[in-house]
Amino acid sequence: MSRGLDRAGTVRAVGPDVRDPVATASKRAAAEAGAGAGAAPPAAPRPASPWRDLFRFRARTRSDVEVWVGILAFVIVIAGWLVATELEFVQPQFLPSPLAVVEAWWGLFQNDYHLDIGISIGRVWVAFGLAAAIAIPLGVLMSSYRAVGAFSEPLIDFVRYLPVPALVPLTLIWFGIDEGSKVALLWIGTFFQLVLLIADDAHRVPKEFIETGRTLGAADRALMKDVLFRAMLPNMVDSLRITLGWCWTYLLIAEIVASNSGIGYELWTARRYGKTPEVFAGILTIGIIGLVSDQLIRAGHRRAFRYLG
Amino acid sequence: MPTDRFIEFHGVTKSFRDPRGGTIEVVLPLSLGIAEGEFVVFVGPSGCGKTTVMRMVGGLETPSAGAITLQGREIAGPSREKGMVFQSYSSFPWLTVLGNVRFGLKYRRDVSAADKERIARRYLELVKLTPFADFYVNRISGGMRQRVAIARTLAADPLVLLMDEPFGALDALTRERLQQQLLELQKAERKTVIFVTHDVDEAVFLADRIIVFSARPARVLRDLRVGAELPAERTLDIQETPAFRKLRHEVLSLIRAEEERTEAAELAAAS
Repeated sequence: MSRGLDRAGTVRAVGPDVRDPVATASKRAAAEAGAGAGAAPPAAPRPASPWRDLFRFRARTRSDVEVWVGILAFVIVIAGWLVATELEFVQPQFLPSPLAVVEAWWGLFQNDYHLDIGISIGRVWVAFGLAAAIAIPLGVLMSSYRAVGAFSEPLIDFVRYLPVPALVPLTLIWFGIDEGSKVALLWIGTFFQLVLLIADDAHRVPKEFIETGRTLGAADRALMKDVLFRAMLPNMVDSLRITLGWCWTYLLIAEIVASNSGIGYELWTARRYGKTPEVFAGILTIGIIGLVSDQLIRAGHRRAFRYLG
Repeated sequence: MPTDRFIEFHGVTKSFRDPRGGTIEVVLPLSLGIAEGEFVVFVGPSGCGKTTVMRMVGGLETPSAGAITLQGREIAGPSREKGMVFQSYSSFPWLTVLGNVRFGLKYRRDVSAADKERIARRYLELVKLTPFADFYVNRISGGMRQRVAIARTLAADPLVLLMDEPFGALDALTRERLQQQLLELQKAERKTVIFVTHDVDEAVFLADRIIVFSARPARVLRDLRVGAELPAERTLDIQETPAFRKLRHEVLSLIRAEEERTEAAELAAAS
């Protein structure tokens, strides 16, 4: 008895339920338990349902199915939110309805919100770019040459444990209230974390790769460029993706404390006037930007490192 | 008869510092000569230091005392002259099968770009992987990956090929096939090979010469010239011949005796 045949037969048997994945999965499992070689012959081979794999221990399923499940989570949260506010379980002062938030959003965009978003993204990318541009070569060198590593690791570890908000006064004194202080704060917040992650990525490249490179005639520079860097690249991109998220955290701190533009500034202003819908709109804006950039980097990762698959 | 002067060990020792500040002797003064074109297999109880001896030839470890010479020149560090194939799959995942073989030629200045391409394809053909040229190595089997590693190393044109249990992680049938292919390759390329294994059948099947090491610290227990006793034409069938069995038995008993001796010594030390 072939599995495909069995599944195809069962799909026909539970045909009316296919729109409801959960019910289908359980019914199909029940139907399949009873179905044997005598199941209806397949009219046309249909692909086995990927929905059931969602409920199997450590099973993998199709990526488009996972996207739909992810969307389902958002739908459930928003629906719950809508119910809670429309039935007035909570006061709008604490939890405004989603519709009020959308309205607030619309109002913000009427008021040049896109400029604030642009400024915030710009700050993050400038600071993050500067952090990465220094952290990548330094991290590689730290793991490759103990002189660099032993010299800089204790210092970096020290700075890394300083809470970033504690440095806000310093950045203001040093760089004033212009863009300089924000970029500096974000840079401090990301660089010291990133450089250690990069050094660790370089460190985890298998010794055999390096030794293979050496016995094929690569000198130090060539080893770093052609073997070490290539081998660590996928993990490094992941490290960058994770620290980019942290960078956004520090952005909000910087914009709340001393700024007159950006998402964080608008968010804090809204709070001051008790405009809860606008606060929610600000939070959601950051969430959406984070989600989109994370997904873009992940997609780029999959494309660039297809050889890992 | 070639002389044993191609690779020479002159009183080589190796010791490591142990965490408590003492020293662990890994290799006792070792003097040994290997001839050009010879297929030498190092066997011995596990952990005996045979891999360390080979890694010193590769320049990946430095002797604590003494020197190893290759063609009369002292080995100072790793280079293209000493090609190495590891047990773990060391082919690069970010390169295709052909890309990996090309990498073996990347740092050769003695050949033109066009020749590099030709040589890479020739070695790919020699290990019978031409149909898989454009596959990433994560998509091919472990046996194929080791063939990629061997082709890549040979493409670098080393003077000596060092192999550290290269077939250790493969299943028995794949291992047999690769052993045969390796012998054919070695015949065709006339390379000197040092091959480390703990599989006695593999050792007897491949070797011109078997060096049996003692338990740690390693010293040479027996230096067996196998080439004279087994037919030059090695097929898998020779494993059934009396000569093969006799050699196999000889090597196995040596290693077993060593392992029993160390076990007894460890027990005595513990009680």
